Amino acid sequence: MERVAIEKKVLSENDRIAQQLRARFAERGTLVLNCISSPGSGKTSLLERTLEGFPPETRVAVVTGDIQTDNDARRLARFGFPVRQITTAGACHLDARMVEKSLDGWDLSELDLLLIENVGNLVCPTSYDLGEESKIVILSVTEGDDKPLKYPGAFAKSRLMVLNKIDLLPYVPFDMEAARRNARSINPEIEIIETSCTAGHGLDAWRQWIGARIHEAARKEEPG
Amino acid sequence: MHEMGIASEVIEAVRVEIARHPGARPSKVGLRVGEWAGVDVESLRFCLEVLVKDTDLDPLALDIEFRPQGSELDIAYLELEE
Ligand SMILES: Nc1nc2c(ncn2[C@@H]2O[C@H](COP(=O)(O)OP(=O)(O)OP(=O)(O)O)[C@@H](O)[C@H]2O)c(=O)[nH]1
Ligand SMILES: [Mg+2]
Repeated sequence: MERVAIEKKVLSENDRIAQQLRARFAERGTLVLNCISSPGSGKTSLLERTLEGFPPETRVAVVTGDIQTDNDARRLARFGFPVRQITTAGACHLDARMVEKSLDGWDLSELDLLLIENVGNLVCPTSYDLGEESKIVILSVTEGDDKPLKYPGAFAKSRLMVLNKIDLLPYVPFDMEAARRNARSINPEIEIIETSCTAGHGLDAWRQWIGARIHEAARKEEPG
Repeated sequence: MHEMGIASEVIEAVRVEIARHPGARPSKVGLRVGEWAGVDVESLRFCLEVLVKDTDLDPLALDIEFRPQGSELDIAYLELEE
């Protein structure tokens, strides 16, 4: 018997395309955020509230992924910014190639911000790098405060956790402190913002967070 | 459920490797799967079994090393018999 070392990363083809995308985004100065959550945690709602607050001249676009339907793209297109839907026809995640294709015809140098809404799923999307600057995980209070421990990958790889639907806290047994503690036990650096997309809580903090990231990305782009 | 795609990629890599060793047959493939790789190990095992069954690769043993707090998803090695 002979053992031969292979030492090959699975999904290396996805990673290769994602690295190309990352280089392209950096070169054009486009900040890309990849939003991940379970189905129904409020990804589209958060993006709706985000777009709604932007002045019309904001250079922002959205790519949204779903297994079926273009409902989310239609919801998001109402705000007048460019939106594209990716329907994965069964796949439980977006991959780098799908994102690359969806950008066809867009001039990235005209965009400061590209928001990606991943397929509703807290597991599979974490395996696929899309060339984003940061992943953002959205957890709503109806899902339970133990979710960071049960689905650690999404929390380990995200820079920010948005705790959404806090307007429902009076009605569901959700321990905010436990949720924060659990997320930080997986990822001590994770930033946390609490929001209610329906009542409008926390949206300023969220917009400021995005603003700071855009600023950061622009600074990196400057030579020297 | 993206484990089937990952399993296909593993099988493809195994085939590339055995093409380099004419006359040998693969007996075992070793993988490393991190806790945060977003992969369900049991589901991956099942998909690989399905893909191997009744093919020229059958039987192919599977050695999955689970890495707590890791993000890796690697094909580590292949064992060959002459
Ligand atoms: N009470 C309350 N409901 C919310 C909040 N945010 C979203 N919702 C509701 O939650 C439901 C799902 O919201 P979506 O924004 O469609 O969730 P999603 O994550 O985009 O869902 P998928 O794309 O299907 O995975 C909708 O009925 C929203 O109105 C919130 O802050 N509070
Ligand atoms: Mg949605």
